[in-house]
Amino acid sequence: MNTKLSRGLIATLLIISAMLVIPSTTSQPAGIEGIGSGGCNCHGPSPDSRVSVVLDGVPESYNYSETYNLTVSFSGGPTSPENMNQGGFHLYTSHGELGVVDGTAQVWNSNELSHTEAGNDQTSWDVTWKAPQTDSNVEFVLHVNSVNGNADGVAGGTSGDYWNRLSIQISGPIEVLEQADPFVVLTVLILVSAILLALTLTYVFYSRDPESFDWEKFGPWISDWLTTTDHKKIGTLYFVAGLFFLGVGGIMALLIRIQLSVPGNDFLTQEQYNQFFTLHGTTMIFLAAMPMINGFANWMVPLQIGAPDLALPRINAMSFWLQPFAAILIFTGVFSGAGADTGWTGYAPYVVSEGAHAGTTMWAAGQILLVASSTLTGVNFLTTIAVMRAEGMGWMQMPLFTWSIMIANVMLFLSIPAFGIGLIQVFLDRVIGTAFYDIAAGGDPLLWSHLFWYFGHPEVYVVIVPSFGIISEVIATSARRSIFGYRSMVYALAGIGVVAFIVYGHHMFTSGMSPSLRFITMLTTMLVAVPTGIKIFNWLMTMNGGSLVYRTHTLWALGFLVTFTLGGFSGMFFPSIAMDTHLHESYFVVAHFHYVLVGGTVFGFFAGIYYWWPKATGKMLSERLGALHFLTAFISYNALFWPMHRLGVWGMTRRHHTYFVTTEEALGSLPMEAAGWNMFISVSAFIFFFSNFIMVGNMIISSIRGVDAPADPWGSWSFEWMTTSPPPTPSFGHFDGEKWHDLPKLKDANDHIANEPGVIARWFERLMVPNDELGGHSE
Amino acid sequence: MSSDYGHDDHHPSAWGPHDWHHGAPHNSWAPIIMSAGFAIFLFTLGGAYEWGEFVSSTYALMIFVSLGVIGLGILIWWRQDFSFDGSYEPKSFGAPYQNIDIRKVAVWVFLMSEMMVFTSLFSTYIRYRTGIENCKTVFESGNWVEGTAVTCFEPASHLIASSWFHLAPGAINTFALIISSFTIVQALRYAKKKDLDENTRRRKVTMFLGTTWLLAIIFLALKMIEWFIGFPTPGPLTELNHGHTEIASLYTEGYLINADSYQHHYYNTHYFEDHDMELPAGLVGHSGGQMMADIQVSASTFYVTTGTHGAHVLGGIVVLTYMTFKAMNGGYTPKNAVGIEYFGLYWHFVDLVWVLVFPFFYLY
Repeated sequence: MNTKLSRGLIATLLIISAMLVIPSTTSQPAGIEGIGSGGCNCHGPSPDSRVSVVLDGVPESYNYSETYNLTVSFSGGPTSPENMNQGGFHLYTSHGELGVVDGTAQVWNSNELSHTEAGNDQTSWDVTWKAPQTDSNVEFVLHVNSVNGNADGVAGGTSGDYWNRLSIQISGPIEVLEQADPFVVLTVLILVSAILLALTLTYVFYSRDPESFDWEKFGPWISDWLTTTDHKKIGTLYFVAGLFFLGVGGIMALLIRIQLSVPGNDFLTQEQYNQFFTLHGTTMIFLAAMPMINGFANWMVPLQIGAPDLALPRINAMSFWLQPFAAILIFTGVFSGAGADTGWTGYAPYVVSEGAHAGTTMWAAGQILLVASSTLTGVNFLTTIAVMRAEGMGWMQMPLFTWSIMIANVMLFLSIPAFGIGLIQVFLDRVIGTAFYDIAAGGDPLLWSHLFWYFGHPEVYVVIVPSFGIISEVIATSARRSIFGYRSMVYALAGIGVVAFIVYGHHMFTSGMSPSLRFITMLTTMLVAVPTGIKIFNWLMTMNGGSLVYRTHTLWALGFLVTFTLGGFSGMFFPSIAMDTHLHESYFVVAHFHYVLVGGTVFGFFAGIYYWWPKATGKMLSERLGALHFLTAFISYNALFWPMHRLGVWGMTRRHHTYFVTTEEALGSLPMEAAGWNMFISVSAFIFFFSNFIMVGNMIISSIRGVDAPADPWGSWSFEWMTTSPPPTPSFGHFDGEKWHDLPKLKDANDHIANEPGVIARWFERLMVPNDELGGHSE
Repeated sequence: MSSDYGHDDHHPSAWGPHDWHHGAPHNSWAPIIMSAGFAIFLFTLGGAYEWGEFVSSTYALMIFVSLGVIGLGILIWWRQDFSFDGSYEPKSFGAPYQNIDIRKVAVWVFLMSEMMVFTSLFSTYIRYRTGIENCKTVFESGNWVEGTAVTCFEPASHLIASSWFHLAPGAINTFALIISSFTIVQALRYAKKKDLDENTRRRKVTMFLGTTWLLAIIFLALKMIEWFIGFPTPGPLTELNHGHTEIASLYTEGYLINADSYQHHYYNTHYFEDHDMELPAGLVGHSGGQMMADIQVSASTFYVTTGTHGAHVLGGIVVLTYMTFKAMNGGYTPKNAVGIEYFGLYWHFVDLVWVLVFPFFYLY
């Protein structure tokens, strides 16, 4: 056992040291040491102070793009005019371009040069240096040999030669503080997050059973997680992955906001900025939102419909494991500094042009895997919901969250193959050289837009509809009455599911689509407001008759109602073709979709996390920390995205790496206030990002020393609350080799509802709702 | 955790095989290994080729490694399933679908998305077929100059449907698939038959599954002949083939995804003169010569659509290999014959898609 333990320890240490070394090696500016060995053909083992090296003509601070004449010279050492050869040099600069004046020097790269054969019998050489176009700290490194000539009687003998080294730092008109490559920042942050995540998980595991924390137990534990087909464990894996990438996407958003906080900033170059917003979008939609939805669905759908597990458990594991590998493919480009720079929409023909970064190929490849994953998920959930519902549970008795997952999967399932085929076409174009989107060969870029948005628009409903389901559950439970207008809620969901497929043209109003199609999609897009409006009013009516219990999930649900409705309003500007043409590609669009995707989807997720956490883990979360999280996040969230509407109307464009403000009335310029608002947004972004760590802390505290949760802490009445917290495996019933026994029937749920507190008891309870952690239910 | 399913003395291995009398699910290494394999496959494919140029043989070697990893995952999956004798066949227990096999529903649902896959490919085809002017029309209208490639749509059928010999591989394939749809049903029928003795059933099911497997192999082999290899025409029939002793493959004909200066003997005014044919009206007074065409889009559409269908056949072959082995070991009994039906549904779908691909890409 000791050998096994030590083997495990050595492996862990090796992994940790590898993780520490990898970022530090990439973050070294490729450099000075490299030049010393490869560039300076230095004669002799170590520098000699008898040689004095001079680099003349270097300015104290340079002007942009100006060319300076530099003179390299040296004195001392064995050199003398009688010698056949007198000396040589090698000059390196970290920025700008070096050039030669005459035949005595030669250029190696734009930032390296040295003497030539002809320049061997000199002690001074003239070269030029063109300063860079931007501010940077420039370093010159000069190596010089002082040669004693023909000591050996043969030209090129090196014995008795001396050499020395000189290094000069200068700066541009504005001094730049020492700054790391943003990619290195991102890479290090991602790795640090991953290490922290692994440590946290290990610690939570350890704290549950310190006695058994040895390799003997840890190995089976970890391999059980890697091989599990249990829907609850896979749901947890989805959550861990989803929250991790929510953080990674957030880090990228913060780097974007640092860049945009002041006008004309150069924290990120244009190339880097393009990659950051591309990966921010792709990460948030595909690697954060979708896994979180699948996490909720995996956990709750079988529990809500009374099924022991999903229909195809191993396929379910396959759906999950495709995602981390897809994430690695998508991020390969970032680690090499050439990530996809196409936007998450990846519009043709840029996406298949050689101008797009090399990482675009793997970005498409990763998404192909995600398409496969979503297809398998769709098969699984549609089958499960269709055939594995408890006895007595007809379609119209299904909980609304299950309905929302079903509608979301129908939409996803029928639309994502189009995206998949489009991606395969792009991948093949880039890899084996097909010509689907090659304009010169007759390819049609609009075809990609159609294939993409045929999927892309249902996709945004796919990420919002499950939140509708969560909010329906939360509001009904918190208002302590059944949802108002259940049937209309179902029909509204189904209506969204149908309309989703005929509205996507509104993304292409400015792409030259036919005017009649534009008119049709304008009408259908406005139609979306009808089912969505029905849902909003039903939620309001549900609260109207009930007496609201304010738990953290209730707060998030109310926050959702406000922000989602605001996002819906701003969305109603886009169906109008005239307005859309004006607002297209502006920050108004950014504000709108963050209001629905963060204020809608993510707030719904938060509500769901606070609502179902006790069921999933068997531990209560702290209400106080929850309320703090809600207040800080809700306020900073609105401060973050609300001003973007204004910036958009002023004409600030999205996807541009910087902007300029002016007092003049000039086309394409922003008023002076825009700078202040951008700084305000950036500060709010930081507050919003870090406020969510209150929730993470809440989760960790709850895992370690949370109060044990009862089976039904909130007094809800769907099936998931009838089993223990956390639920057993299989979630319901047992299998004896022939048949399933003791599966729940809907009758049970009705009994459960019948035992709900009556009017007087509810009124009494409302008076008595204390501020304790248990939510007033002492069972 | 699987140990919770019933008996305490039951220790399933995540590497297989399973004891299905204890129900499902069990832990499995297959999903994570297969996912890794697919990721490595796409990564190495993207590293080995760029813009149609072969760039790295290291990556090319790694492609085979990735296929090995995928194969390992599939083997684990099969190893777990091989012992499956129908004792745990999930049935629907909810209204209104009581006692339906839930995996059968799953296959139908899966076919729904497959339908969208081919719909998207056909959309691409229809867009380009109708949106780009046909090469024949361009040639006959005379809107071209010798030496400059014109961008036009050249349907593969122009080559393939030009003679019965060219069409032969595709036509034989159509029948191969239709017959294989029949044999898979026969396999199901014999597996379901209760009054057969075990040995006869084993032989019959193995034979019919093996035949289906063979027909699928024939399909892909003929496809390779049609795309890359070509075939000689039998002596007496050479006469019918305009005297040519060989039917050239599409590759030899130059019908390729990078064909930016494609030439076809028909697109040549001299061809009309040599064969004493009347020149199309648009070409009268034209300077004449050989028309060159940029047909990259048409060729890409053809190869990717038929290739996607071919990939589905390949997937079918992989599954049929497993099923034939299982049948050889007497794995299919009336109790779990429905497994053949699940695959049969998929196989019929692949057949059906071919029935659409064939006229669209080979005939018309």
